[in-house]
Amino acid sequence: MNNTDERIDQQMVQQAKDVFDESVDSLDAATLSRLNRGRQAALAQVARPGQEWRRWMPVTGVAAAVLLAVITLRGPGDMEFTVAPASDLDILLSEESIEMFEELEFYSWLDMQDLEGDGNFG
Amino acid sequence: MTADLAVFTVSCSRKSTGARTLHKERQLDQFLAEVERRALRIAEMGVRDRDEALDLVQDAMIKLVRNYSRRGSNEWSPLFYRILQNGVRDWHRRQAVRNRVMVWFQKANTEDHDYDVIAAAPDSAGRSPEEELQNSQAMQDLESAVHALPTRQREAFMLRTFEGLDVAGTAVAMSCSEGSVKTHYFRAVHTLRDRLGEHWQ
Repeated sequence: MNNTDERIDQQMVQQAKDVFDESVDSLDAATLSRLNRGRQAALAQVARPGQEWRRWMPVTGVAAAVLLAVITLRGPGDMEFTVAPASDLDILLSEESIEMFEELEFYSWLDMQDLEGDGNFG
Repeated sequence: MTADLAVFTVSCSRKSTGARTLHKERQLDQFLAEVERRALRIAEMGVRDRDEALDLVQDAMIKLVRNYSRRGSNEWSPLFYRILQNGVRDWHRRQAVRNRVMVWFQKANTEDHDYDVIAAAPDSAGRSPEEELQNSQAMQDLESAVHALPTRQREAFMLRTFEGLDVAGTAVAMSCSEGSVKTHYFRAVHTLRDRLGEHWQ
């Protein structure tokens, strides 16, 4: 492309921009009012502190309902009560020493041994 | 003492979060107020219907606030136009389906010749005849020429020229590479120069 073509292109683009800007500036009051209302409706969607959890309410509700349905359908007979291993969160939130959690399974096993021992000798 | 400190910390934290939200809301308000009018005209050139364009702009504003308000304000412009352009494309798809259904419907009701849908349709831009007359010929020429461009060329031209996005921002808005933006823009400028040249020189 030579310089003349480039100059003509730039002129055309500038003219297009000027014409467009003029049309934007001449928008009527009713249209501007509708734009303003649309903007306010959008800004109402900004999450307020403490309201963020409301977004997750439907999801949490559905999850709870599904969990309840599963428990109900399976019945209490199918449920096995086991000693839950300590989660990472439990460990982080607790003031107990980490070694204690690492030995938790051992302590559970030890309790079971004691109970069985009591049964044998009782 | 520890409890008092905890209450004070929570209170300060809430105030700080509240202030940040207010600041973000003001930033969003300012951003949307800056872009809304140009966005409306850009959407209107895409769909050639002011009411539909207003709906598309409002929808884009809501989606931006809902999904991207936490992003940095420098990212909002390309994201906003990405949402808007997607909205315009979806609108065209829905129109195509609607037109197919309407053609079938009109064929099924051939007895109804008294009502002329086209004659009864309101002005697509929602303007009165007087306002139509006041519109500059240059804008009408430009609007027609831009609307006649292939979709991707039209998007590249409008985002680069009317909204002033740079190549990188336009690429984000169009979900394509920067090289594609340059090609679409180059072709759009040449086509428009050919179409508008004789009127605009």
